[in-house]
Amino acid sequence: MKKRVISLLMAVSVMTGLTLSGCGNTSSAASDPSTIVIWHDKEDAVAEVLQEQLNTLNPDVQVVLEKKSDLTESLKMVGNDPNSAPDMYIFAHDKIGVYAEMGILSPITDIIPQEELDVYMDETIDAATYKGEIYQLPIYYETLLFMYNRLYMKDDEVPTTTEELYQYMQENTAGGHYGFVEQHSTPYYAAGWINGFGGQILDSDGNANLDSTEVIDALNYHKKFVELMPGETEYATVNTLFSSGMAHATIAGPWMIPTVKENGMDVGVAAMPTIDETGTPIAPYMGVQGVQVLRNAAEKKHDSVEKVLRVLMDPEVEVKLAAASGCAPANESCYDLDEIKNDEVVMMMKQTADHAVPMSNRPEMDVMWTVLGNLLTDVNMSDKDVTESVKSAQAQAESLIESMR
Amino acid sequence: MKKLWKLVSSMLMMAMVVALMIPKTVLAADAKDMRLVYAQVPSDWANPCVWAWNEDGDSAYAAWPGEAMDADANNDGWYYLYVPSWANHVIINANAGEVQTGELVLEDGNAWITVTDGETFEASTEQQTKGEIPEYEETFKIHAKVDGSWENPGLWAWSAPDGTNAFEAWPGKAMTADGDWFTAKAPTWINSIIINANEGGVQTEDISVDPAELWVTVAEDGTCELSYVDPEKAAIPNITVHVKAPADWDAPNLWAWSAPDGTNVFTTWPGEALEADGEWLTKEIPGWVNAIIVNGNGGEVQTADISIDTGKDVWVVVSSADDYELFYEEPATTESASTDVTGTGSEEKSGKSNAAPIAGGVAGVAVIAGAAAVIANKKKKSA
Repeated sequence: MKKRVISLLMAVSVMTGLTLSGCGNTSSAASDPSTIVIWHDKEDAVAEVLQEQLNTLNPDVQVVLEKKSDLTESLKMVGNDPNSAPDMYIFAHDKIGVYAEMGILSPITDIIPQEELDVYMDETIDAATYKGEIYQLPIYYETLLFMYNRLYMKDDEVPTTTEELYQYMQENTAGGHYGFVEQHSTPYYAAGWINGFGGQILDSDGNANLDSTEVIDALNYHKKFVELMPGETEYATVNTLFSSGMAHATIAGPWMIPTVKENGMDVGVAAMPTIDETGTPIAPYMGVQGVQVLRNAAEKKHDSVEKVLRVLMDPEVEVKLAAASGCAPANESCYDLDEIKNDEVVMMMKQTADHAVPMSNRPEMDVMWTVLGNLLTDVNMSDKDVTESVKSAQAQAESLIESMR
Repeated sequence: MKKLWKLVSSMLMMAMVVALMIPKTVLAADAKDMRLVYAQVPSDWANPCVWAWNEDGDSAYAAWPGEAMDADANNDGWYYLYVPSWANHVIINANAGEVQTGELVLEDGNAWITVTDGETFEASTEQQTKGEIPEYEETFKIHAKVDGSWENPGLWAWSAPDGTNAFEAWPGKAMTADGDWFTAKAPTWINSIIINANEGGVQTEDISVDPAELWVTVAEDGTCELSYVDPEKAAIPNITVHVKAPADWDAPNLWAWSAPDGTNVFTTWPGEALEADGEWLTKEIPGWVNAIIVNGNGGEVQTADISIDTGKDVWVVVSSADDYELFYEEPATTESASTDVTGTGSEEKSGKSNAAPIAGGVAGVAVIAGAAAVIANKKKKSA
């Protein structure tokens, strides 16, 4: 079964690699052991910090950061072609399984001794690990945050439990204003409720787990909150409602904070409310951003790759990223520094990370995003029976995963 | 009741989108970002206002005649208003904009403007009024439309539960007439209001409010409806969508919503059936809709998202799941060119783009988690 996954991915990779070889702009860099090409999809503020730090390797090693909007698909196509593939890439950890199965990644521990990775938060190393190998050097991580507009919700009104949140929503949803909004039917956001009930979307062996009691309980409990929110809650909807002052509070990513501050909002961040039913806080997914090394580069440019990794291991890089873009450092020692301790948003992410669940990095997760999305639509927007919908979704997920394998 | 709430909510959502398209409005500001503008106006200049902008043409206020000034009780004939500091070009006007000064370019700091008439006026940074100048206090507007028997409506506002009142004595602050509506401002620290009239002889119940511009419609018996969006703007008339679908699309349906707020017209996918009407299939939907999908076979085949202008009837010719044409007038013939699913071609035909102003309104939310975005975009289609 595993062979078939690898074979399929390899076939796609080889075919597309052949098709695209010569089209990339990395072929000259590919043969130069002192040039390292890193693909990324990061915002300018992050890229600028990274480039500045990596420039310290000049002239010994020249590092070229290339922003790729279609990074994940491009890697699938050219990952095995040394002339077109980058040497490294910076991305969230959740695609590690796909590329590891394709055989295009090198374990980080082939370059950096594992004991040197002990400085990183356990959760980030767990996220970087696939089938026992560490494929990512963590740099920073992100979690969703509970945010509130202090114009409406005072600090002492912030709900500490979901029942308090529900009461607040009932009292403050009127006339087109909402007490709380979230992307209730988007898997990445709904996962926080499922995780908080102890549910799993995908288990550690890559099996769909939607028909568990925990998932059913979570979906049933969550529905009463959904009823007090707009019917459709896509990304733009929720963010617009919150940033334009139509909603008092939301659960959103830290990337939203600069926008709302620019709008003049006095925005607060708080710990996730504890779910009364379970005694566990809403537990959002954690995405760990880090650098992955492609196998070809690890073999042919080992020394340059190691130098790049060691620059990125400097805690100062993570401190600068926190200042530039609110990135929460993966290196535990950063949290002893005043610059980090005084950063309200970063420290709240650290607190949230105590309960956050790293996104699965297994290839099967690609299937689950779609199936769970449809399940949430059925339950939250079409008012279908939760148990029946869950059974149907579980069957669909199992079928799709089986086909994938 | 739930349906009514959903309808009201939907209308409000559309108006929210409209509000987001306003070029530049005052959202919140510290005192350091504001300047005090005083004006002494002729006695026949009623309800003076400030219209303000910067040299780039950004207006501080959404519409002429701008923001109403408050009378200074300690300085007869003088009115004042805190204006964003960046808006250093001002016009003082009155009588609903019928009389006005010319443009004044203000120096840094507070300004005292003496208006003799529309042609004669001057500004000074030297204080021209007696006593201390009023402190800046962030405020928001409260609009009320009251029954005809309610005369001279007033606003009473306070902070609950501590009971701190915004105004000195009942019945509070007189509201200024503006068409069918009356308006007054209250400080943002209040959370409860009463609309009253007839010198306090009639009044609403206590109304809990958020400190954001709001509209209250008051009936004769004092019952009222609260909205955070201008009901007049939300009342866009219904439109009719005309569709020609591929012959192999069984029982075509229409799915319609408002982007980016995502308010759906129909409760469940694939929406509601299009009805035969001559050579077209038609469906009447709310005028606030700005995005539709035509689908068939119970939702198994569908177009891409089709952006449409609000408040306009549309004609959509669907050739296949990947091709459609969009018109704002009934096309003479519908058998020729097709358009790619991006809708670019349709925008050229209609001569304008729906997407642009909305995209501008949500420019700050462009950064998105990849996985979440993919699922969100597929949600309606896969329902």
